[in-house]
Amino acid sequence: MIHDFTYFRPGTAKEALSLLAEHKDDCKVICGGQSLLIVMRQGLVATDNLIDIKRLEELNYIKFDSTEGLRIGATTTHRTIEKSPLVKEKYGVLVSMENRLASIQVRNWGTIGGNLAHGDAAGDPAPVLMALNASVKVGSAQKERVIPIDDFYVDLFETALEQDEIVLEVQVPVPAPKTATCYSKFNLLSSDQGIISVGASVTLDGNACKAVRIALGNAAATVMRAKKAEEILIGKTLSDALLEEAGQAAHDECEPVADIHASEEYRRHLVKVFTKRMVKQAWEQASKA
Amino acid sequence: MHNKYSVINTPVHNVDGIAKVTGRATYTFDVQLPGMLYGKILRSPHPHAKILNIDATEALKLPGVKAVVSGKDTLGIKQGIWRRYKELCDEQVLPMDKVRYIGEPVAAVAAVTEEIAEQALDLIEVEYEVLDAVYEPFDAIKKGAPEVHEGIERNLNVTRHIEWGDVDEAFDDADYIREDWFKCGGQHHMCMETRACVSSYTPEKRLTVYASTQAPYYTQGLLAGVLGMREGDIRVIAPYVGGGFGGKFELDGAMFCSAVLSMKLFRPVKIVFTREEDLIASKRRTPMFYYVRTGVKKDGTFCARESRVFTNGGAYTGMGATALYLTGFFHSFPYKWRGYRYDGYRVYTNTMPSTSMRGFGAPQAMFCSEQQIDWIAADLGLDPIEVRRKNGHTPGYEVPGQAFIGSCGLDQSLDKIEEWIKSRGKLPANRAIGISAAGFMSGGIFNWFDTPYSFSSAVVTINEDGTVELHVGCQDIGQGSNTTMAIICAETLGVKVEDVKVHSGDTDHCPADLGAWGSRQTLMAGNATKMAAAEAKRQLLEFATAKMGPNIVYDLDIKDRWVHLVSRPEKGLDYTQVVKEALRGKEGQRIMGRGFYTPHRKGMISPAYSYMVQAVEAEIDEETGKIGVVNCVTAHDCGQPINPIGLIGQLEGAASMAVGYGYLEYMPFEDGKMMNPNLVDYKVIRAPEMPECEVIEIDTFEPEGPYGAKEAGEGLTNPTAAALGNAIFHATGLQMKECPILPEAVLNAFKEKREKEQEKKNA
Ligand SMILES: Cc1cc2nc3c(=O)[nH]c(=O)nc-3n(C[C@H](O)[C@H](O)[C@H](O)COP(=O)(O)OP(=O)(O)OC[C@H]3O[C@@H](n4cnc5c(N)ncnc54)[C@H](O)[C@@H]3O)c2cc1C
Repeated sequence: MIHDFTYFRPGTAKEALSLLAEHKDDCKVICGGQSLLIVMRQGLVATDNLIDIKRLEELNYIKFDSTEGLRIGATTTHRTIEKSPLVKEKYGVLVSMENRLASIQVRNWGTIGGNLAHGDAAGDPAPVLMALNASVKVGSAQKERVIPIDDFYVDLFETALEQDEIVLEVQVPVPAPKTATCYSKFNLLSSDQGIISVGASVTLDGNACKAVRIALGNAAATVMRAKKAEEILIGKTLSDALLEEAGQAAHDECEPVADIHASEEYRRHLVKVFTKRMVKQAWEQASKA
Repeated sequence: MHNKYSVINTPVHNVDGIAKVTGRATYTFDVQLPGMLYGKILRSPHPHAKILNIDATEALKLPGVKAVVSGKDTLGIKQGIWRRYKELCDEQVLPMDKVRYIGEPVAAVAAVTEEIAEQALDLIEVEYEVLDAVYEPFDAIKKGAPEVHEGIERNLNVTRHIEWGDVDEAFDDADYIREDWFKCGGQHHMCMETRACVSSYTPEKRLTVYASTQAPYYTQGLLAGVLGMREGDIRVIAPYVGGGFGGKFELDGAMFCSAVLSMKLFRPVKIVFTREEDLIASKRRTPMFYYVRTGVKKDGTFCARESRVFTNGGAYTGMGATALYLTGFFHSFPYKWRGYRYDGYRVYTNTMPSTSMRGFGAPQAMFCSEQQIDWIAADLGLDPIEVRRKNGHTPGYEVPGQAFIGSCGLDQSLDKIEEWIKSRGKLPANRAIGISAAGFMSGGIFNWFDTPYSFSSAVVTINEDGTVELHVGCQDIGQGSNTTMAIICAETLGVKVEDVKVHSGDTDHCPADLGAWGSRQTLMAGNATKMAAAEAKRQLLEFATAKMGPNIVYDLDIKDRWVHLVSRPEKGLDYTQVVKEALRGKEGQRIMGRGFYTPHRKGMISPAYSYMVQAVEAEIDEETGKIGVVNCVTAHDCGQPINPIGLIGQLEGAASMAVGYGYLEYMPFEDGKMMNPNLVDYKVIRAPEMPECEVIEIDTFEPEGPYGAKEAGEGLTNPTAAALGNAIFHATGLQMKECPILPEAVLNAFKEKREKEQEKKNA
């Protein structure tokens, strides 16, 4: 049963932020409601005030600029991103990620801002965005700031957002030349959240790995970088032995928790398998880029 | 396939399809009555505890709360569907003194809103004395284990023994004997509509109950029993039912608690289970441990089988006693054994009770039997299809002391599946096809309820304009039985499907019927409907013959609303005109036909059996253990199909459920607590995971079935998990003995296999 609340539907972001400043001690922002309503129904979240930002059209946009890169407004739905020709052309990995995020019904409602703010380590966008070296623009009634996504996740379901802040925008830089990014999750039902997931972005210099970012989803309390695995890859050329070594490093450095879907050991094993697969795939794509 | 019929075997959309897709269909969930209250159930947090005291004082003070009831407000009658056998009636829906599983009802509240009722639950104080609990059959059967029911030694609830032939001698004849242990998990029925009920007791001392039930007559009888009322004073209405799958023919907490509350308050009370309540407290498919020992000749001829089963019965009997019998019987299927011996033990534990679910014990039986057969074939270098062909049932076979096989299309099914497999050509690595044969009852001959009524009854009444009222007691729970009955009635009477209005799901207005379980309605209610329609038609033809005045050696018939001479179809009368005039001739008495079906001398289990062979094509990711099911093709002998689209619906529904059972759906418990009581963590197949489900109909005619029809829907859940296991075996060499086959287990099996191979190399 959902606890009773006062419902606000501000017309502008400014209005939303001042409402938030006013009620910040007992209030929740709702956007698509695809995550929030579940926890409200379960009684895990009970709030007296709900601020609905879903219809803030000023935050519903996808823009691209060849120096600034991609900008996605917080209230943009998963479905809009999935169907955007612009995103498909410039950041195809986001489309394939969105394709397997939940069902069409959920994607029609759920938003990128809500997804990131929810802070679920099993969410799909965060590891991809982390591999893409994205940042999150957040704002309060007072100020705006940009947080690299590497620093956005603090702990289990906890983000760097202050109580009076909301996510305004996701910023994805233009990838360096000869770069490719790949993402995949392991699950039994293709539209489920991943038991684990791995995003990898590889930049090549000739045959050698010039830069790499590997992000692991649901392999720790928050989405995390597999930095040891990255270090192993830098400067090297592709070989099975190298992949094995990097995969093993990711296996060792992640901190997964066992649950009914997978033991800790199985999760580590899957992290290894998917790290190998995603790095290899990104590497091969980058070499063709 | 030949179609000598006008209506049968022509695709017909469900008669209630439009009402459903336009949202007009009223389910129990939608029922609203004036003055209705909302009920909620307080459930036990303990797997095993004495109830020392229940204090509802604070709850009753909450404004809006109208009543709180618990065991002491009831007659305390232990109930169960096995009414003939008192010892198997072991469940007080609101227990008097002890709870036996987490989620068991302890008290119920009625309040003016659902929210208030839920708040009131927190205010009821229950004092428990927690007792030691036991969760697994092998623990519960030990001497000195906690007693789930007082005085039941070793928690042995039911034992079943099936035997024929000289088993030991037949084993002596075998050239090769193989034995294996298997473990099959539980599964939730996962009806779209959770358990729901609205009860309304009025000062006339009558109770009306809207219930989501598979068997309104059972609900009526069971409620009468526990409430101390006459059956006839209880009216059960099952409006539209959102699924049952074997989980909704017992008395449930929603039915019982709403009735008790309503009797106390003389107001309607509605209880709808949340998904979580449905998952933790509505019973489940029976988990089974299977020991299977099979002896064969070098050439693959089956000699003997000996199996032992231990089932996790959970806290109460439910339909578990039948599941225990049927798993043992269908474990022999569809083969001829010279010697067969089965011993089943159903063991009480402190977990949610287990019961019947689509397949009624057979999917577990097939998972073990059909995989072992493939392993034996591999051990002996034989072709698994050939082995099945050599030993399979044939028409006219008698399963000694158990069953008479009428029609049987097993052989043709094997041929068709073999052809299909060949058509697939060479498959990529880590992908293979596994098969499983299976059969199922077409109407359980079980009268545990000890009813004096026929198993099925039907009444056909013809209105003056030729439209037809068909009253049946069989229950449409989404499987389309109302459509099936309309088709059979229209075919028999010679009218169109749209001329027939089917009335079901109301015990005041429909004749008694045992309900939608045991794959019984098409055959049993179908025969009753056919008989009723034939009787009504006979009355019409009597009149028409008199009117047309042919030589009495000529036959008359009705087809497509045309009453005619069989030998000269152009010579005839308009059906509607005949009805009108026949009425006048009878002083206005309705033309009415009655029909019934009660099996006699049809063996122990069923008057007829469906057969099938299924092929599952699956791929396995060796690095992750993940299984993907690509194809699920069935060669299917269900006798004469009544409605081809209905059949496809049943087939695909069964596949989704059975594939899920094979590799996805499982119910882990920790200390008696279900760990995934929600649809995020309890996985059910979704559209992207559905394999292609081709069906190849095998043309047979079943003399016991109406127009030659047999069951088609429940039996189709039997072969799938086994065929999937065999696909994995043929793709990888792994022998997976636990169902569902989870990826982590596959991966571990790969590891083990590699280690063994390494050991061999080293040695
Ligand atoms: C059936 C189902 C399956 C799903 N499967 C997946 C999956 O496979 N992968 C996946 O990644 N996700 C999945 N999800 C989760 C879901 O898609 C996202 O979490 C959802 O998109 C969140 O967006 P929302 O707009 O609905 O957020 P809401 O539910 O409205 O909010 C979520 C949280 O974020 C906060 N919030 C919302 N917007 C903002 C903002 N702009 N600034 C600050 N805080 C904000 C809310 O206060 C709340 O705490 C699934 C959800 C469902 C229901």
